[in-house]
Amino acid sequence: MLDFQAYMYFNQEEAKTIEAIASRFIPSEENSPGAREAGAVIFIDRSLSGFYSHLQTFYRKGLALFEQFCEKKFGKQFAELSVEQQDEVLHDIDQLRAKMEPSVANIDEENLLLVQFFSVVYEHTIEGTFGDPIYGGNRDGVGWKMIGFPGAQWRYSPEQMQLGYDSKQIEIKSLADIQKLGASALKKEVLK
Amino acid sequence: MTKHYDAIVVGLGASGGIIATELARAGLKVVGLEKGAFYKEQDFLTKFDEIRYYCRSAMVPHMRTDPITWRSNNKKEAVVLPWASNKLGLGDPFQTPPSIGTGGGTRSWGAASFRFRESDFKMRSLIVERFSESALQDDTTVVDWPVSYEDLEPYYDKVEWELGVAGKPGNINGEVQEGGNPFESPRKRDYPMPPLPRAGADKLFTEAARKLGYHPFATPTGIATIDYKGRSACTNCGFCHGYHCHVGAKLSTHELVSAANKETDNLEIRQYVRVFKVNRDSSGHVHGVSYFDSEGNVVEVTADIVILSCYALENARLLLASGINESGHVGKHLSIHNYGWFTGIMPEITNPFMGSLQSGSVLDDLTSELIPDNEEGVLWGSPINTWTGDMQPIETVHSLPPHVPKWGKGLKDWLSENYRKLFKMYSQHSTLPSEQFYVDLDPKVKDPFGQPALRITHDWTEYDRKTVEYFMKIKRQLAREMGMKDWWEDSPTPNYHVTVHDTGTHRMGWDPAASVVNPYGEVHECKGLFAVGGGQFPTLPSYNPTETIMALAYLTSDHILGRSAVGKVEKMEVI
Repeated sequence: MLDFQAYMYFNQEEAKTIEAIASRFIPSEENSPGAREAGAVIFIDRSLSGFYSHLQTFYRKGLALFEQFCEKKFGKQFAELSVEQQDEVLHDIDQLRAKMEPSVANIDEENLLLVQFFSVVYEHTIEGTFGDPIYGGNRDGVGWKMIGFPGAQWRYSPEQMQLGYDSKQIEIKSLADIQKLGASALKKEVLK
Repeated sequence: MTKHYDAIVVGLGASGGIIATELARAGLKVVGLEKGAFYKEQDFLTKFDEIRYYCRSAMVPHMRTDPITWRSNNKKEAVVLPWASNKLGLGDPFQTPPSIGTGGGTRSWGAASFRFRESDFKMRSLIVERFSESALQDDTTVVDWPVSYEDLEPYYDKVEWELGVAGKPGNINGEVQEGGNPFESPRKRDYPMPPLPRAGADKLFTEAARKLGYHPFATPTGIATIDYKGRSACTNCGFCHGYHCHVGAKLSTHELVSAANKETDNLEIRQYVRVFKVNRDSSGHVHGVSYFDSEGNVVEVTADIVILSCYALENARLLLASGINESGHVGKHLSIHNYGWFTGIMPEITNPFMGSLQSGSVLDDLTSELIPDNEEGVLWGSPINTWTGDMQPIETVHSLPPHVPKWGKGLKDWLSENYRKLFKMYSQHSTLPSEQFYVDLDPKVKDPFGQPALRITHDWTEYDRKTVEYFMKIKRQLAREMGMKDWWEDSPTPNYHVTVHDTGTHRMGWDPAASVVNPYGEVHECKGLFAVGGGQFPTLPSYNPTETIMALAYLTSDHILGRSAVGKVEKMEVI
């Protein structure tokens, strides 16, 4: 029943575009997963259905404008472009961003909206790659594996804190593991 | 009939948590009015979460409910501060307003727990004596403190032993202690706990510092390093500043109020209430406060004593919104820290996500009056602090060096290669209070309850820039000596104007014409009303302010309860 990646807010096409953008921000390589494998798009979709629900319209308007930009430049939707072309699109908008002091007072102006859309998707891609897996992104801790962060650890020993210690030896934990430990561990640590 | 209290405490943070507890334990009937949650232990098990606590600022109010505006000078119109002006919620989460909820900032703090130096209480006299009156700008409002280090020493001692601070002493009764800070002002006894376990990078820093002739010492912290008075030892989990402690190792006043609430019948805590006005009777004596409850209803509470302890900014806002500013000094003398961030990559793995950010060392060789004579005109020095742990991934991406690609394979490669090798240094350069920089009520922007927003008027000066630069040179020396491969520095005139070390806005003094509160925190013009916390500071030294804020809170408590040894003021009439 749940073997199909369904979305709470995005339609399938929007999700495809967001995933493609995220995948250029943190690209996948052979033996080296990126934002796509992390499921950043799932993180974003769930966030838009929850904490960031006030950004739903912003995302929808931004996506439309973004696709328009791609159509104008290459005559295709973003997801249909080659990765080189995709990078070129993102690079153009990034340049626009660098030129524009993002004062953000008025989000209706087209260039500003495009730049903001870029910044927001970027920010949310980072969150969806390096945030805790309970939010739907950073699947199997792939973002944390990439950089050597062991996640939500109840403790580190003074030995592990030694200079040069290889943190990749530590089994990655999520907030789910902490809450599983839950009350019993809390009692042991705090109420002993 | 509604209940009348002996005391109302507005905000249960560093100072309010202590005062509420002390008064309740002494038998006064106290009500604590808290804008945030009255936490439960179970709440802290959700804390290993960078999305919730850092990206989404779970412990601080949001700008849509608690707007703060900023302008660089009084000719400009203020705008809602940068993190908030971004209506998409993508500002810089580090520049946050103060935490709410029981414990306030003491839940989210990094827990650096310094005493100020003897000299810090006499900044003006010492600067004038050494550099002459003309060294200070015309618009300066630098003054000496009305209390001395000796006055506060017993209270520092109380914070360290009663609440539990870990560290290595440097000077006990005038005798310099091996391995501690040789420049420390004399203390009466040791710390009750040894310092935190050393971070990986600490050895490299201390060796380099010693080679350059400096005297590094372990950062004193309000973090239990052994099981102490019911608190568990720190587990070095690395989710520390900006996060709750999951084992209760961090010194927090939440534990105090929570215990006082449970163990006495004297401390009632009302959560999710927003005080908006201090009420006075016809004689000018404080009468109570009005607040909005979580449904937006106006509720009035009466008491003989009211303590405003909701941070320097909100304290000033409440005083002004209540029309209490006869002296004209409310909101003036805003003093904040400029951190001079310096981040670099070490040749070896340092695992900067393990342990407290304060698991490293500090140099006091150039702090306060120890600043050498210099051509840059730096009048007051700063410690050089290290940040060795507690660096989570998303926060790291937010502070990338300018030459690293923001996205793409370049970003991925850089993070994979360098995240585990990061190391930070910083200082805490205090701005000098001046007539130019202050807070007041914004004439236009209001919160959703119709109350005026706080407006900050502040900019970094040429003096600030030179001071930060002077210390950057020393950080570069240290970095080279440590074998750092690459480093990057924050701007000496950064874009933040709120620092969580904001002070001075209701300065204390004995003269009602030149200050807002007396050294006990009582507002000169309103009997029974206290405004306490960093807002009391006449000047801001270069150390973290919290231990001094807590020491002053004990002084205020003693004064209210008639136990104070400082000054000549007798026990208060109301008790």
